[in-house]
Amino acid sequence: MSGNGLADAARRRFNILALTPSLIVLFAIAGLPAIYLVVTSLTPFQLINPGSSTDFSSPMRNYSLLPGDPRFVNSLWVQAKLSFWGVLFQVLLGMGLALLLHTQSRIVEFARTFFLIPMVLPPIVVAVIWKLIYTPDISPLYYAASLLNITMPSLTSSVDFALTAIIIADTWEWMPFTFLMVLAALQTIPDEFSEAALVDGASRLQIFYYVTLPFITPVLIISGMFRLIDSVKAFPLIFLLTSGGPGSVTEVTNYYAYLLAFDFNEIGYSSSVTVVLLLLVVAVSFGVVWMGRRREVMS
Amino acid sequence: MLVILPENNREAAVTSNNSSRRLNRRTLLQAGAVTLGAAAFPMPVIAQTKPFAGVTLRGASFQHRFFTLLQNYIPEFEAQTGMKVDLQLSALPVYNQQANLELSSGGSAFDFCNVTFTLASRWVAAGLLTNLDEFTSDPNLTPSDWNPKDFIDGAQVPYRDAKGATYGYSWEGGAMVMGISRMDLMEKKGLKIPKTFAELQNVVAEINGTDGVSGIVSWLLHNWCLPPYIQGFGGNIFRNPPGDVMPVLNSPEAIQGVEYYATLLKSAPRGVLTYTEDQARQAMLTGRANIFNHSISWVAPMLLSNESKVKETARVVRMPAGPARDCPAANSQGLGIPRNAKNKKAAWEFIKWAVGPDISMRLVKEHGHSSICRRSVVESETYRQINMVNGQDLGALYLEVLGLPAKGDNYMAYRTAKEFPIVGDVLNKAFEQVATGQLAAAPAMNAAQEQAIANMRRAGTNL
Repeated sequence: MSGNGLADAARRRFNILALTPSLIVLFAIAGLPAIYLVVTSLTPFQLINPGSSTDFSSPMRNYSLLPGDPRFVNSLWVQAKLSFWGVLFQVLLGMGLALLLHTQSRIVEFARTFFLIPMVLPPIVVAVIWKLIYTPDISPLYYAASLLNITMPSLTSSVDFALTAIIIADTWEWMPFTFLMVLAALQTIPDEFSEAALVDGASRLQIFYYVTLPFITPVLIISGMFRLIDSVKAFPLIFLLTSGGPGSVTEVTNYYAYLLAFDFNEIGYSSSVTVVLLLLVVAVSFGVVWMGRRREVMS
Repeated sequence: MLVILPENNREAAVTSNNSSRRLNRRTLLQAGAVTLGAAAFPMPVIAQTKPFAGVTLRGASFQHRFFTLLQNYIPEFEAQTGMKVDLQLSALPVYNQQANLELSSGGSAFDFCNVTFTLASRWVAAGLLTNLDEFTSDPNLTPSDWNPKDFIDGAQVPYRDAKGATYGYSWEGGAMVMGISRMDLMEKKGLKIPKTFAELQNVVAEINGTDGVSGIVSWLLHNWCLPPYIQGFGGNIFRNPPGDVMPVLNSPEAIQGVEYYATLLKSAPRGVLTYTEDQARQAMLTGRANIFNHSISWVAPMLLSNESKVKETARVVRMPAGPARDCPAANSQGLGIPRNAKNKKAAWEFIKWAVGPDISMRLVKEHGHSSICRRSVVESETYRQINMVNGQDLGALYLEVLGLPAKGDNYMAYRTAKEFPIVGDVLNKAFEQVATGQLAAAPAMNAAQEQAIANMRRAGTNL
């Protein structure tokens, strides 16, 4: 073996050695609970029946029950609606706000900071804020509507508005994320492109469509993907605002898994629901990684 | 400093002291040594006289006013017994999860714990708790004046097994009554206090919208608020609980109960389906809603709370009876000892003290805390005086309702069945579908019945 080969082997060994502690910690933190989750999903584990945690007599039973469980199927559909509309609004509004505030001014700088506040609030605080807004007895929104002689329905207990109410609150909380990402992307676009387009007689809309948008599209896609992954964590809003109701109108999959585990004690079945959710999130995550690599290749 | 004198010197000193009865240097030294010794090590000497010296008693429950008040008295108990009480209080859902896990895994982290009403049946049936009859039947452990039969029978039902053995003693009772906040409005309209479901529906509809007042208010736990109506029409949640837990959610009576309650809530404030207990109580205290059928501890503040704006016009009465049955909801919370607790005798000492007649009476007298379960206290003159408001005897009302499940069949047994959380959730969903117009009562309850059976089978129940 040549000297270079020996050096490479030594470097590889060193790299492995240096990475090992991190990998062990990562495995302990993320790997073990995930493995335990998968193992539990293969049992009929219930808290009241401790022996059930090691009962692997029918390992696929929970998974075979899932397609026939209307609440699970419905929860996936509700999750899809919440994620789609939530992410769409967050991306569009975040982009709009970033375009508006992409200018140099002290007031604008203050406004930028101000708009970031919802994102840094603890999720439960966001839920409490919206609970206050959506509660007819105490809400300034309802008070204002009453002054205008408008009778508003209770948004969180209305079949037609409950999910919309959650989407609005979720959008308010996370729109700043897209705003921040797009603003950062906008600041990297050289002014020369817009100036050249202006000289060529392009309108503002044409400049946005042909110059700005191509620059920020990858950021929009990536931030949208991140938000999509994160949208499955809308738990505090649903827990506090609607409890999944009315009926099952706002019952998303993670909330259903919570009910199964902690209200009904069906830990095994709840784990199988969570595993399916986890797989969906992993699939989306791979999508994000793939898009990132594709972007690198294209650039 | 402790000075130990040689034996012969001490004898000599005592002899000398006895003979002469005079103080000398040696007796002074001896007396000093004894005094110093006692002063230096007083606690062990005293503690040795206490039965549970050195024991740390670990207990858990959910946060409740009872425990907040009890914590004021715990130092007295610690001083009496020598033990240290480590009481861990969490939010109800958190506590239930912890306790479920702890008890079902045979843990010994708790010496005593709350026996949650809705979980009592499964914990008792699964043998996760200690039979407390072992303690009450032993006169060395329980004095006769403690009297286990003094507890209101209806409150004790959930903590007994099929053979009648007791696994918990109740510290809190909940009795569903009807609160009326605007009797003045009702009188203006010539309406009397409703005693039947039909009268209730009429009063609610008549008052709704008058002076901006809603006819009725309720809160989001429909599987607590709704069953009294289902049972009032003659239906139930299970066929014959707790033995026969086949759901009967689509019986004609259950469908009728759901329709009736959904109709009532049409006269409730906007958003009532997501109201918390606090919101509902506030609506009553401010007179924004006229009727609230709920546990007396949530309704009575209309008469007792300083926040109340309706003290003069409020009434607290029996909830109306249904055409078939009279089933106001009642429940209780108990204290028990886990099967594998390390300090069972010490735990019993604590339970005996916490739900004893003395502490119960002090809670009533010193804090006005009335939802205790000692019959002798509830029937006492002191209790009656404190709970007699505007000529309304709340104590008698409480006692009557809390005692109802123990008379005849235990109509609250549905709630203590271990399958109830699954079926209760299905019932919640179905009711919300009816109340929001997503489905009519019959199809909603038919679907609920199917769903309940499927969920129970999935959870391993043989039907």
